[in-house]
Amino acid sequence: MANVRFENVTVSYGNHTVLKNFSLEVESGQIMCLVGPSGCGKTTLVRALLGLNKPESGIISVGDRVLFDAKKRTNVPAEKRNIGIVFQDYAVWPHMTVIENVSYPLKKQRRNKQEIQQRAMHALEQVRMTEYANHLPSQLSGGQQQRVAIARALVTDSDVVVMDEPITNLDAKLREEMLLEIRMIQSRLHATILYITHDQQSALQLCDKMAIMQPDGSLCQYGTDEDIIMRPANRFTFEFIGVSNFIPLVQRGKEICLDCGEQIPFTQWVPAGVDVAGKEMGVRLNDVVFDRQSPIQATVTSRVFLGSEYNYFLTLGQREIRMQQSMLDARTFGTVSEGEKIGIRFLNPHFYDARKEAATV
Amino acid sequence: MSTNRDLAAVDGRRRINMDKVMTVVCFILLFIIVIIPIFMIIYNAFFFEGKFSLDLFTQQLTDSKNLSAMWNTLVIAVCATVLGTIMGVFYAWLLGRSDIPCKGLMRALFNIPYMFPPFLGAMAWDLLLNGRSGYLNRFLVSTFGLDGMPFNINSIAGIVFVEVSYYFPFVFMQVVSALERMDPTLEECARIAGAKQGTVIWKITLPLVKPAISAGALLILTTSLAHFGVPSILGYAQGIYTLPTRIYSVIYNSGGSFDGIRQGAALSVMLVVVVALALVLQKKILSSGNYDIIKGKSMRPTLIKLRGAKVPLLLVAVFTLVLIVVVPLVMIVLISFIKAYGLPLKFSNFTLSQYEKVFKASGTIDSIKNSLFVSITAGLICMFLGTLVAYVVQKIRPKGKEVLEVISVLPYSIPGTVLSIGVILAWSGSLGITLYNTIWIILVAYMARYLSFSMKTSSAALLQVHSSLEEAARVCGASHTESLTDVTLPLIRPAMVSGFFLIFLPAMREVTTSILLYGPYTRTLGVQIYSLRDAGMIPQAAALATVAIGIIIVLNAIVTQITKDRKGV
Amino acid sequence: MADQIILRHVTKKFTTKTLGDIVAVDDFNLEVHEGECFSFLGPSGCGKSTTLRMIAGFEDLTEGEIELCGRLVSSRAKNLYVPPEERGLGMVFQAFAVWPHMNVFENVAFPLRIQKVNRTDLERRVNEALRHTSLTGLETTFPSDLSGGQQQRIALARAIVTNPKVMLLDEPLSNLDPKLRETMRFEIKALQRKFNFTIIFVTHDQSEAMAISDRMMVCDMGRIMQIDTPENLYNKPCNRFVHNFLGESTFINVVIRDGKVYASGDMEQAIALDIPKDAAPEMVVATRPNEIALTGPDQGGYRTHVEKRIFLTDRTEYLVPVGDQMVKIQTPHRISFSEGEACCVKFMEPMWYPMDDKQAELERARRQLV
Repeated sequence: MANVRFENVTVSYGNHTVLKNFSLEVESGQIMCLVGPSGCGKTTLVRALLGLNKPESGIISVGDRVLFDAKKRTNVPAEKRNIGIVFQDYAVWPHMTVIENVSYPLKKQRRNKQEIQQRAMHALEQVRMTEYANHLPSQLSGGQQQRVAIARALVTDSDVVVMDEPITNLDAKLREEMLLEIRMIQSRLHATILYITHDQQSALQLCDKMAIMQPDGSLCQYGTDEDIIMRPANRFTFEFIGVSNFIPLVQRGKEICLDCGEQIPFTQWVPAGVDVAGKEMGVRLNDVVFDRQSPIQATVTSRVFLGSEYNYFLTLGQREIRMQQSMLDARTFGTVSEGEKIGIRFLNPHFYDARKEAATV
Repeated sequence: MSTNRDLAAVDGRRRINMDKVMTVVCFILLFIIVIIPIFMIIYNAFFFEGKFSLDLFTQQLTDSKNLSAMWNTLVIAVCATVLGTIMGVFYAWLLGRSDIPCKGLMRALFNIPYMFPPFLGAMAWDLLLNGRSGYLNRFLVSTFGLDGMPFNINSIAGIVFVEVSYYFPFVFMQVVSALERMDPTLEECARIAGAKQGTVIWKITLPLVKPAISAGALLILTTSLAHFGVPSILGYAQGIYTLPTRIYSVIYNSGGSFDGIRQGAALSVMLVVVVALALVLQKKILSSGNYDIIKGKSMRPTLIKLRGAKVPLLLVAVFTLVLIVVVPLVMIVLISFIKAYGLPLKFSNFTLSQYEKVFKASGTIDSIKNSLFVSITAGLICMFLGTLVAYVVQKIRPKGKEVLEVISVLPYSIPGTVLSIGVILAWSGSLGITLYNTIWIILVAYMARYLSFSMKTSSAALLQVHSSLEEAARVCGASHTESLTDVTLPLIRPAMVSGFFLIFLPAMREVTTSILLYGPYTRTLGVQIYSLRDAGMIPQAAALATVAIGIIIVLNAIVTQITKDRKGV
Repeated sequence: MADQIILRHVTKKFTTKTLGDIVAVDDFNLEVHEGECFSFLGPSGCGKSTTLRMIAGFEDLTEGEIELCGRLVSSRAKNLYVPPEERGLGMVFQAFAVWPHMNVFENVAFPLRIQKVNRTDLERRVNEALRHTSLTGLETTFPSDLSGGQQQRIALARAIVTNPKVMLLDEPLSNLDPKLRETMRFEIKALQRKFNFTIIFVTHDQSEAMAISDRMMVCDMGRIMQIDTPENLYNKPCNRFVHNFLGESTFINVVIRDGKVYASGDMEQAIALDIPKDAAPEMVVATRPNEIALTGPDQGGYRTHVEKRIFLTDRTEYLVPVGDQMVKIQTPHRISFSEGEACCVKFMEPMWYPMDDKQAELERARRQLV
């Protein structure tokens, strides 16, 4: 168990620089989720840590041990880095039984037979797979194969375990179970886990700390789940982490207005000194609430019952706004039917520069 | 896929690069085995005593015998392709989409022609329908009191018939598997849109399996263009030549002189041009319509009820099977027991002495030994070499990997006759090495001819071994070499084994290549049967053919057993 | 409103090699009204797709009869079977099933060409269908050059071009990515409003079914469990399976002793709940994670503590022990507790079900293998 540090790591493929001066620290004994859209360089970073590709510059270290240092020409080969890995496609070897798969790393460390057997079985116990020890991977389900991969990553007491989209290939119910399981194993072993995913939802369910990467490969925000949800560093994080409405703002005399085809005065608090020209207000679907007293009046165009919540489409001026009403609110406030006009209020608004047309997430 | 280059790069700083060594070895071996013979043909066709000359070429092109051979080759190939395709598609549809009974059995039987060398079939049909003395012909004459022989297999039509019966499985197998993989909702959709069953087949099903049909059809076309066995057995007597048989006779008649071989080389270039045109055509057609028809959840397709047509269609299928599979086999076996060729097929005329004679003849045992030796050796060498090439192409991916890929597949597109001429030109002294008249020259030719088989199976298997499997081993503490031996090789071992058999089986029954390469002591099994028949010892040839069929059946059974319960990819 | 699709005693039996006889569809009776959007919802192997295929005419019935738009199309008793091409339906499949050898225009025009519609009419109708599915401009493109969403639009255009009265949709959104799935839902609804057809929508995704349907049928293991509106199904599920299938559920095993309800594993502290009349001594109380109130320790309710807190975008989740079970509670962000903090939970209007049926679970597992 140790922390992982990337310092100013730069990785390129040919002329294409994937990561530029990237720095990040994974704290010891925690689950750190590295989240970013696909193609942002998460996997490149992991491969650099594992020693499967070679950065151009920077330092990668685990605990006190420097694995890679461009200046000092240090480059510990992949097989000597002592890092556990769980790949998205399981990567369990189909010609070996479960127990052979799990013992392989120990065999490569030339441990004695008894110790290998004992530790491999212990690792299988951790993932509740002991009864399948002599099965071949082809006889196991996807979830079970991924458990074997996790056991294999844990068996050598690696300093760090890297999980690269480990649940993406599983179906929804199993995904939930696996997340819980990873969580439980981690709290038992206090392992340091670097968890890579493009799915913010699963990252939120798992992480101690979360790091968000932007499509250009730079680190955009690092913090706890609450930091990231409640205080997103920029528009990218805000949009990436959940579905939101965006409404442009305009200044009309002293008043600040929402520009919805017609201008609607916006009297809620706006941070002092903000020049609203060219700004948009972003607000999450569940942060739009009904309030009969509010001067902002919208018309309900459709209401959809989704079980745990109601989904509304509202027309505000000429703009369409979406909102979610939790069952709790539906109980206390009541639901609003289609065609009705009603006041709305925005909780937790965020203010960002209006997006240029070309930029897409 | 920069992944594996990364691995190589990371390793490269620390030790002699194993990957580089493998790449270089591949290039050198392929150069020797493949490039040199091909170069020698082209060189000798156009250069005479060191000078560029088209004389030989024009001389060959103006020879009317050669022109008629070329014409025959084309006619036979085109007819065989058209008929074989129609037959293949029809039976593929019948077995893939209709509710005809006994599908499994029929499928297995339809694949039998694929196992046997066509020249044995040609022998059998020659016995039955020979224009002068065929058994069936004589039977028909005596039963119906006809004036002349009703059939003559020694004709272009006869050659086409035999080739069709052996080559239609190419189309059949391609189309059956395409039909099975096809998403059935594509057809159901058309039904919902209001189309009747017949319209659906015509407008939807056939267009969708068109790529499979044309792939199979072109395989028939190229194979038939280069085919030697059937036209040589059925055509010689009537003076019907095709390009491959013409090449053979030119060389044979010149007694293997250099001049004869040069003439052969010039003819070879003509043949290669024809085959190359067919291959270009194939590329064009295949690239224009490669549809993705296999997505979606697999569901069993709705089978079309044949209702009243069921019994007649079943009878047609059974009749076809009997005609193309059972009749030739039975005929060969029966003739092998006959005392002398021409005697009626009565029990009193049966004897085992033909077997005795055959095995007492000096060449027979040797030929079996030779065939076993060459096939096993070629199989083993190609298995390793093919895997090496496949690994370099798929995993190391050096610059010029496309070249490597093309070179290793090239010899298979070249007709066997042509390849033999190249091998003769290359390894009979002109480069300082003389292998002529030894078993080694056959081995070299086989290696070139069959390398692509093992290369392709290993390639496919390696593609299945996702790079993360090797990487996982690296991260678990295995070195590059260890990850190869612990993970990659065990995973592709089954594919390597089946690659071996894919070479071993056809090499055992091969005749086209070895007929030009054999020496007095290096006959192969195929050559031995061929020459026995050529020498008029037909019952003996049939006896040896029966033995060969026995060997093939046993080997096939072994292969099925081995490949059935393999694990891994 | 008239009933447009009527199923009477429809039953389908299969014989499989490995599992023997399977009753895939067991005595289905239902009526779908004109202009309605009706969903078949259930896990794989529940018989929903088989039922749809019987309505389309791809499968024969073992028993019963089907009536479409007042016309009997399948009947075992009368030995009647109308082939799919004569049923006048529109259908969209999960795998799009657009013909790769035809361009967009030809794909959509195919049904009209079969009907031998004249050229000007055909062009007008195809163009109209393309316009409604936002495919205008892509007429000469081949499907392989289009995205999954566009391919599914071709399938939709091809289905509406003949103006069918009934549209069968067989998991049409399952192969699309989540974002697209949501927009396509609305597009389908908009098309329905425009062309006024009846929809049968097959899916295993409950949120999709709830968002799109007027009424739905939940089935399991070849049997109809419940037919009702989404809201009634969600709020008053008739059994534990339906409860669990329609959304996140929390089940608490309880013991009833002396007129009081105790969570299993904790016989000290009773849970304040009204006991239904016919309750057995052991029952399951079913509720939803967002229908459990989480309050301060002095607000009344079952006293416990927060074991684990998970912060999500639109809600916070808490794991809270109740007896020997861990209960998941979802609250808006504004209700905030930290891990280890004492709290009270209250269950609002839960459902009561008998204890699990092990036999049913086994049967379900067996069917998943078919």
